[in-house]
Amino acid sequence: MSTPGAPPPPGSEASTATPVGRGPLEPWPDTVHWQPISTDLIWVELIRLAVVVAIGLAGTGVGWALSGHWSFGLAVAVVLVLGGWRAVAIVRAVRAWGYAERDSDLLVRHGLLVRRLSIVPYSRMQFVDVSAGPLERAFDLATVQLHTAAAASDARVPGLRPAEASRLRDRLTALGEDRAEGL
Amino acid sequence: MSDGPAEPSTVPPADAAPHGPVRPADMAPHGPVPSAEPAAWPAPPGEGEPRQRLHPLSPLLHGAKSLAVVIAGLSWSTLSRVGFGWFAAMVAVLALGATVLSVISWYNTGYHVVGRELRVYEGLLWRRTRAIPLERLQAVEVVRPLLAQLSGLAELRLEVVGGGKTEAPLAYLGVADAARLRERLLALAGRVTQPTGPGHATPAVVPGAAASPVTAAPGRPLHAVRNQNLLVSQLLTPQAFLLPFGVAFVVVQFVTAGSWSFVAVASTLTAMAGVLLQPVRRVLDDWNFRLARDGGTLRVHNGLLETRAQAVPLARVQTVRATWPLLWRVNGWLRLRLEVAGYSLADADDRNRPDRLLPVGDLPTATMIVAEVLPGVRLDTLVLTPPPTRTRWLHPLGRRAFGAGLFEGVFATRSGRLTRQLVILPYARIQSVRVVQGPVQRRLGLASVHADTAGGSGATAQDRDLAEAWAMAAELNARAHRAQHPAPLPPDDQDVVARSPGPEGR
Repeated sequence: MSTPGAPPPPGSEASTATPVGRGPLEPWPDTVHWQPISTDLIWVELIRLAVVVAIGLAGTGVGWALSGHWSFGLAVAVVLVLGGWRAVAIVRAVRAWGYAERDSDLLVRHGLLVRRLSIVPYSRMQFVDVSAGPLERAFDLATVQLHTAAAASDARVPGLRPAEASRLRDRLTALGEDRAEGL
Repeated sequence: MSDGPAEPSTVPPADAAPHGPVRPADMAPHGPVPSAEPAAWPAPPGEGEPRQRLHPLSPLLHGAKSLAVVIAGLSWSTLSRVGFGWFAAMVAVLALGATVLSVISWYNTGYHVVGRELRVYEGLLWRRTRAIPLERLQAVEVVRPLLAQLSGLAELRLEVVGGGKTEAPLAYLGVADAARLRERLLALAGRVTQPTGPGHATPAVVPGAAASPVTAAPGRPLHAVRNQNLLVSQLLTPQAFLLPFGVAFVVVQFVTAGSWSFVAVASTLTAMAGVLLQPVRRVLDDWNFRLARDGGTLRVHNGLLETRAQAVPLARVQTVRATWPLLWRVNGWLRLRLEVAGYSLADADDRNRPDRLLPVGDLPTATMIVAEVLPGVRLDTLVLTPPPTRTRWLHPLGRRAFGAGLFEGVFATRSGRLTRQLVILPYARIQSVRVVQGPVQRRLGLASVHADTAGGSGATAQDRDLAEAWAMAAELNARAHRAQHPAPLPPDDQDVVARSPGPEGR
């Protein structure tokens, strides 16, 4: 599960572009078209998880082998169970992440256990961050983050194709300039 | 010493000091004073204004201030270990060293106003020049610590958007100079905001300013807090209530243990002083609290040992917060604070934030002040709707304490069972809106709506019905948008919609 799959065929983005619904409590279904993020992010997150799990397993496994105490065996099992649960959560969380561009604001929603929806008007934008770590770059992904003057604003969209990321960045900055309000 | 561009004569630094006491630091013409270090003080091209030094007494004050730090750093245990003579010698040496450093730093510090910027130069080894754009000025305050009061000096503090901490405290200036410079900076900042202000945002503020025609220059006094009320209010705090128990505990401890070592007594007293610090400091800080309004600026004057005069442009107010502490409800008192953009939340020391609007007062007074700060808002008639009945599972006792409501121009939320708190947030200050739903809330069909602001923590409508939460978020967003753009949407929106990938985009 932790081995990165082959890069998906180019058309796979289009197939996943169906709106990810959340049932009858979806807000404003008429006006909001939710864009999903790339499912490749699942692999990025799973690799990160695999590294953490491998470190945990190595630590507890060495302890078990050296001391032979049963509690280390229990720890190994706990690490495995937590890793498995987290893997499932990652798959679902990435599918649940979505963003929508409306004519005057950006909507971002994410989270499974604690669900969050952020509405950030373009006019309040202070700056836009586009970042891509080594793992994200390996999967051809990037993260766009919109910053406002409020520290609590939470508008981060991970798992975007670089082209989409730069399109979003350019659009956000263009709209932000149009309606700059700042404070 | 700044505007002699081609002064080749290098005069030893000691020469500069004798000039100091003769003239106030801010006095304009000191061209003839030879420049000690021409390279360090290049006259900026194209500006007539000379660079000015801080008041020559300031290094002494800094040195005296460091004395307290030195004593605290050495602590009681050092005193008992090395004896008083050595202790005094150590303190003297360290304080002297600090004073010498302050003199050097004073000599290399200068400021002047260039166009719409205040430039502050400092540092000997690491030179630093800060240009503070006055457009971003949030507030200016004149602070006078006790020592500065005795020596007739004042410190000028500027608050700027986005600065984590107070930018450029100019310490110290003569009182008259500080006041003059403050007026000048505020005038420059205000002049800039009027014409170039984003056109849409200003109308939200201007009605308030226009509604209260202020003609007198020093401002129209709004309210003065009676010192007696302030004292009583600070006695009605948990710290003051618990003090007798603390004293009794310590006394019993000593009587039973029978040991009265100096260190133990001194340390205990220090600890007690620490507990009492907050109420005592509030009394000292808010003594003689006076509030006045001068056009679009709110002027706050307060302090016993350290008097401060703050000027807060009303256009910069992000939220107003009313707090009813439990023990104050006997008298029906409340406290009003405001939040201004540019102050870091992490700053635990709230003394430096210009947030006091009313340290203690009754509802009619608070209503009057809120109406001044946020025109059209009546604090006593804000009727908030509580969350649905099923939230009693989440808040078995305090369900009625929560509430939220959308009003003309402002969003208001209430929370807190024991210490009731009401947050009033103008729509025009909303930076972003968030809806958050935790696992328990999802089971109950609830969600919380947050409205974020640039300064402070924003407002949160806790545990609303999910449908209501969505509606509230949409309404908040729409009203924030309308508050910023009273005019119909600019024509380029057609273009935006066309480019928008969402086919259902509005």
